[in-house]
Amino acid sequence: MIRFWEKRAKTSVVTEHPELETQIDQIRRSIKDEVKRKFAGSLAIRMVDSGSCNACEAECNALSNPYYDLERLGIRFVASPRHADVMLLSGLLTFNMYHHVMDAWAQIPEPKWSVTLGDCPLMNAPFQKSFAIKGPVAEHLPVAHHIPGCPPDPETIMQGLLEFLKKI
Amino acid sequence: MRFVARFAKERQSSFEVITVFDEKTEIEQIDKADPVVETIATKYPAAIWFERKMHDDFGIRIEGAFDHRPLVHQERFPKDIHPMRKDFTEQSLDFAEYRPYKYEAIGGEGVFEVSVGPIHAGIIEPGHFHFSQAGEDILHQEVRHFYKYRAIEKMVEGMDPLQAAPIIARISGNESVAYQIAWRDIVVQALGTVLPNALLKRHALLLELERIIHHLTDLGFISNDAGFAAALAFCSKLAEEARRMMKHLTRHRFGFDAITFEADPLDIGALGQWLDHLQEQMQWFREWVIDIPSLWDRFDTTGILTPYKAKKYDTVGIVARASGMAVDVRLNPFYLEHGFRMQTQSNGDVAARFKLRLDEVANSIEMMRRFMMDNAPSTCKVQSEAKGSYSAFVESSIGELFMTADIKNGKIERFFVRDPSFMNWQALHLMMPGNIIADFPLINKSCDLSYAGNDL
Ligand code: SF4
Repeated sequence: MIRFWEKRAKTSVVTEHPELETQIDQIRRSIKDEVKRKFAGSLAIRMVDSGSCNACEAECNALSNPYYDLERLGIRFVASPRHADVMLLSGLLTFNMYHHVMDAWAQIPEPKWSVTLGDCPLMNAPFQKSFAIKGPVAEHLPVAHHIPGCPPDPETIMQGLLEFLKKI
Repeated sequence: MRFVARFAKERQSSFEVITVFDEKTEIEQIDKADPVVETIATKYPAAIWFERKMHDDFGIRIEGAFDHRPLVHQERFPKDIHPMRKDFTEQSLDFAEYRPYKYEAIGGEGVFEVSVGPIHAGIIEPGHFHFSQAGEDILHQEVRHFYKYRAIEKMVEGMDPLQAAPIIARISGNESVAYQIAWRDIVVQALGTVLPNALLKRHALLLELERIIHHLTDLGFISNDAGFAAALAFCSKLAEEARRMMKHLTRHRFGFDAITFEADPLDIGALGQWLDHLQEQMQWFREWVIDIPSLWDRFDTTGILTPYKAKKYDTVGIVARASGMAVDVRLNPFYLEHGFRMQTQSNGDVAARFKLRLDEVANSIEMMRRFMMDNAPSTCKVQSEAKGSYSAFVESSIGELFMTADIKNGKIERFFVRDPSFMNWQALHLMMPGNIIADFPLINKSCDLSYAGNDL
């Protein structure tokens, strides 16, 4: 453990190259304000993957790494849709996931919003429509906001969430 | 003989059932009017998913099989539709009446069932796990997937090989480079060309970088699932740096569409520096975690896959190597020349899979250093108009990836891919008995299999 604390002291807070740091910092600050104003300090997101390649999830997971640390802004990914304000939906809406996605959406208490993540849900990724895909999602759900990218990187996701918060 | 894959193709007047082993490939022609084939799953248990899929895809009946349930087609999938047949051309399907799926379960007094998924509690892919429990103890588990089924095999039929490339690159995001390399190999064979060495090395370098990213992420998450969050913070920081390096080299954080037939010189200054940094950090990490007794208390003897069962179920990749099987596509002169060392462990538990990842990261760093020495620009001419049947094997960060395609008049006639996860998911339940349900996430994470690549 001693070794760990030594390392911890040496590493201190991880710094980025300056432009990125200020940019992320700005996003962080404005997100924090919006979350505070509109969600009493805590925005709960239920992430649902309806048929992604998993890169969109990987980028959402990256939001918790020390470089981004989304949670300290009051934005949390929650385990149950019943605890959520927002459903963040990634991937193609597949035939096999359709009812499960609708179920998760129905379980989120009002007021609620759905935000689509990445090019897949709106059928903008290179995939073509097949019998196994029910997309685009907007035909089945009210989509409040869309975060484009294949996949959107963590910075873009933070930016996207901020835009969503400003919009509502 | 190691079983690799079993799948069907539709021909003019028959179906062809192809069974691939590591040493040979068998082809059976079967009648189209009444397609039936004998099971091989009694001998090779991992063949059962392939056979159930073959029935869903083509309507081929499997004689003597111990499991006739649908695999890919779920509760609301219309009955008697076999979408891989050439005469199926629908672009959309309506939901049929709900037909319940009969899960494997163990009966008996006090035994109860626990259903988990398809939507899980964290940021993870959808899939279903069905447990039979005696209190805390897991008696049996069934893995049920294919929620992400996008029908990729059908989607790319009729496409030009180069047109299909961006789709194939996005089948499984964490293994994108591996998928792209497999597809590259097929295209190159179809064109009868050979890739210049410099290009081979460039692609191999990116594949090792992909492996490093995947292993780093897992090392963090596995520790976190054992309640040691500090390791997650540490490893996810390194993984983020590795992703940024991937972006620096390929303009994409996952290397999507990076395997091309052209290579410009890389910024090897930055790459070399980062490799030094990573090596030093990993050395430190190893010494740190080895000294945390509570971690090894959770890791050791948890989720054991015995060497006998690993072999019996023809597992691949990390899972196989952690149980003593020396299977790795990279065991060839090209890789050996560039510093590849076969890494194995013998205990087959979470600890073995964890340590194996540590060793593989170290070896990948070494290999990247050698691959980057060849930094000259390089190109390879490709043109369409090929025909024939081609296959490729690539060692993805999960394990052996097998891909095959028939190309006719420059168009894809049949595309089949077997993700390493398709084999290993079938062996997951073997690791459960003797463990408590709270250890399931830890065991699952220690294998870190793909749902997207499995479901297609
Ligand atoms: S948008 Fe791109 S990265 Fe995200 S799931 Fe789809 S293919 Fe993968």
